[in-house]
Amino acid sequence: MDALARVPQLIVYGLVSGSILSLGGIGVSLTYSILGFSNFAHGDTMALGAYFALAALSVLSGWGVSNRPWGALSFGAAFAGALAAAVILTSVAVVLLDRLLYRRLRGAGRITLMIAAVGVALGLRNAIQFAWGPQPLYYTTKIQRAALIPGLGVRIKPDQIFILAVAVVLAGLLHLFLRRTRIGKAMRAMADNASLARVSGIDTERVIIWTWVIGGALAAVAGILTGVENKFVLPELGWQMLLSIFAAVILGGIGNPYGAIVGGFVVGVSEEVSTAFVSAGYKPAVAFGILILMLLVRPTGLLGRRD
Amino acid sequence: MSLLSVERVFAGYGGMEVLHGVDLTVGEGEMVTMIGPNGAGKSTLMKAIFGLVRPTSGAIRFAGEEITGAAPDRIVRRGIAYVPQVENVFPSLTVRENLEMGAFPLRGEIRKRIDAVYALFPALAGRARTRVGRMSGGERQMVAMGRALMLDPRLLMLDEPSAALAPNLAATVFERIEEIHRSGLAILIVEQNAKESLRMSDRGCVLAAGVKCLEDAGPRLLEDEQVGRLYLGG
Amino acid sequence: MDLFAGVVNYLVFFGISAGIYAVLALGLNLQWGETGLFNIGVAGFYAVGAYTSALISGPPPDVWGGRIVGGFELPFVVGVLAAAAAAGLVALLIGIPTLRLRADYLAIATIGIAETIRLVLKNEAWLTNGVWGLQQIPSPLYGGIHRHTSGFLRANPDLPSWVAQIVSRAYNGFYLLLVAAVLVVLYALLRRLAGSPWGRVLRAIREDEDAAAMSGKNVFAFKLQALVLGAMVMGIGGALYAHYVRFISPASFEPLYGTFIVWVMLIIGGTGRHGGAILGAVVVWGIWAATDFVADHLPFSAPQVAALRILVIGVLLEGILVLRPGGLLRPRRPRRPTPPPEPQIR
Repeated sequence: MDALARVPQLIVYGLVSGSILSLGGIGVSLTYSILGFSNFAHGDTMALGAYFALAALSVLSGWGVSNRPWGALSFGAAFAGALAAAVILTSVAVVLLDRLLYRRLRGAGRITLMIAAVGVALGLRNAIQFAWGPQPLYYTTKIQRAALIPGLGVRIKPDQIFILAVAVVLAGLLHLFLRRTRIGKAMRAMADNASLARVSGIDTERVIIWTWVIGGALAAVAGILTGVENKFVLPELGWQMLLSIFAAVILGGIGNPYGAIVGGFVVGVSEEVSTAFVSAGYKPAVAFGILILMLLVRPTGLLGRRD
Repeated sequence: MSLLSVERVFAGYGGMEVLHGVDLTVGEGEMVTMIGPNGAGKSTLMKAIFGLVRPTSGAIRFAGEEITGAAPDRIVRRGIAYVPQVENVFPSLTVRENLEMGAFPLRGEIRKRIDAVYALFPALAGRARTRVGRMSGGERQMVAMGRALMLDPRLLMLDEPSAALAPNLAATVFERIEEIHRSGLAILIVEQNAKESLRMSDRGCVLAAGVKCLEDAGPRLLEDEQVGRLYLGG
Repeated sequence: MDLFAGVVNYLVFFGISAGIYAVLALGLNLQWGETGLFNIGVAGFYAVGAYTSALISGPPPDVWGGRIVGGFELPFVVGVLAAAAAAGLVALLIGIPTLRLRADYLAIATIGIAETIRLVLKNEAWLTNGVWGLQQIPSPLYGGIHRHTSGFLRANPDLPSWVAQIVSRAYNGFYLLLVAAVLVVLYALLRRLAGSPWGRVLRAIREDEDAAAMSGKNVFAFKLQALVLGAMVMGIGGALYAHYVRFISPASFEPLYGTFIVWVMLIIGGTGRHGGAILGAVVVWGIWAATDFVADHLPFSAPQVAALRILVIGVLLEGILVLRPGGLLRPRRPRRPTPPPEPQIR
């Protein structure tokens, strides 16, 4: 009985972690549909964003920008500036990686690209460890009080509301981008048929750069939000989430960014709710279970897309 | 001087050569139909012209400039448009979005172009917001051709536009092609259903075993008994 | 001359490590190089092998105070065979649901498996003693050899110091021979298999799975066999490791590093060549060891050095992928380093 009583609160936690998984998963889906491979380095890209933000935060604080918390949130202007800086830096970094590495492997086939991505994943993680060290770095040491949501009997912290809001807003912006802008439509076209996109005169290299920029930016935000939620970051942060992100992406339908959003929330909630029944140490196994189940039952995912 | 000239082009895929020295010209505003048996290299020739397959030797010139082996997005900007035989639309995009993609290099106003395409394919105008993947084969072919026309090309290349279409739909497609021809565009078309095509072509040529073997005015080729027997199904 | 002794002892240690990695690389070559199975879960099979052998041949828990299921003190050979069997069984269980999947799905699934295995090893302390690991794993013939070398040293107290240093580590020399013998046997076996009709089918599957299926082969069965056999080889590698270091814990099998290094070894050595697997193991392990020496002279902290060394391997991998994807040893038959990409026109 006690386990079941905890479920509603766990659902709240799950929506928060699901927000982060969604933002991470969108990038994976976009990379898959437009560049044609599963980017195993995406988790570590998230970590890169999280660490860039920390660095930017200390720079901005050093310049005297105040970080006095806005309202009930745990951060202020300096953090917002750091977030923006981190997003830019991470996008630049992934575009550089494309220009230096992935572009030279364009025709090499999906598996070579995945192997290269694993190499990048390890490289990023160890570059982070080299620059910042292996011990946890704290975003904030203050403890926020969770407020009670009237009527639902669950608690939520202001920072968590912020995370949910960011995910919703960014998802909405992405939707508008894909539907309304020229590049967004070109991205959808390339995802449909990259060869025809070239034939039509679409500048496919430009679209690819935009894909990396958006994926990198969202990854950075996801990583930073992880830091906000967990209060600290570790170099392994990204790789630890990779399995859950891929479970989310496959659940939603690999290649479909909207599927990634749905999948993210489902996996997030599932992982958190599972802790009422099994040890929290097995959360990744829950994600893995969902993954295997989907692959066996419906590999195209819930919002299926042609492979 | 011809608008398009293909000079002794050799090309193929991964070591297997398909074209063994093909010559072809298409003049300004001319409609040329290529016929020939399967595997003769007709599609390969179009891909070679459009930069999807790199010729191993020979030259391809368009409006006086050499375009041999240039990348497709540059060739599109020069004024050649290409409609592949299969998978020639973006299924998850709407009709309107497919057309917009055809005009991608143009950053600005494309309203006039879209209207021109709707004028040519009235059936599409009312379905601007429909996802193309949900449309029938004939409608998709119209979207594919409309997309190709968005940049106002000087040469339109069509790879078997009536393949897999029911006869009445194929007839509609050919009517549209004739209209496009009348508006002054040069058209290079590969067709299995060659009779219709040759009838309205200025010239026709037969491509067999990677080489061009016969060429004549379209209707005359149609009447040629040998051609009829070998390539037009008697 | 003491330096000489130090070098000899180091080379023995180097040889054992490179040899164990070579065994893993051979297993991976069977799965990936021959059959095209994208297995990122190498560390999982390796861990299963190590733990199984340790549990089978290790001392009962009351001897050293842990909690486990096992400790039967069975002979080394039994431990190794059990390790192979256990790893093969895990591969069977994984393969059945996932082998029909596309390559990247298999990759993600194998990452998940390795992670799950590590979690079980870590969390299920009643089985594996959890994070405290397994101690006192017996090394084969250790007692006997140690008695002989100690006796020899006692009987000859006037030996030059460098000789004494080498003799006192003679057990490692024996272990090196053991690893080498296992390697030779596995290499010969795998080469035989590669040349057989069975091996030809595997390569056909890698090159063009649909064509192989259409010619009537039960592709799934062949893939499963390759996965299981390769996993068994990896399990043997794990057993060799466990009995050498005599103490293992879940932390020894940090999934990605073990898996990653073996992949890099195979790619650099030459995918598809069993000789390439061994060559790659030696080369990459050599580079890894060299970075250890170089790093000692750099003004960085220990974690920084560790990170830098892995970065070096990562850059090495990317370099090979871009510049010489076939690896150092070119394939015997004209072959691609990775299965052919979907037909692209340009």
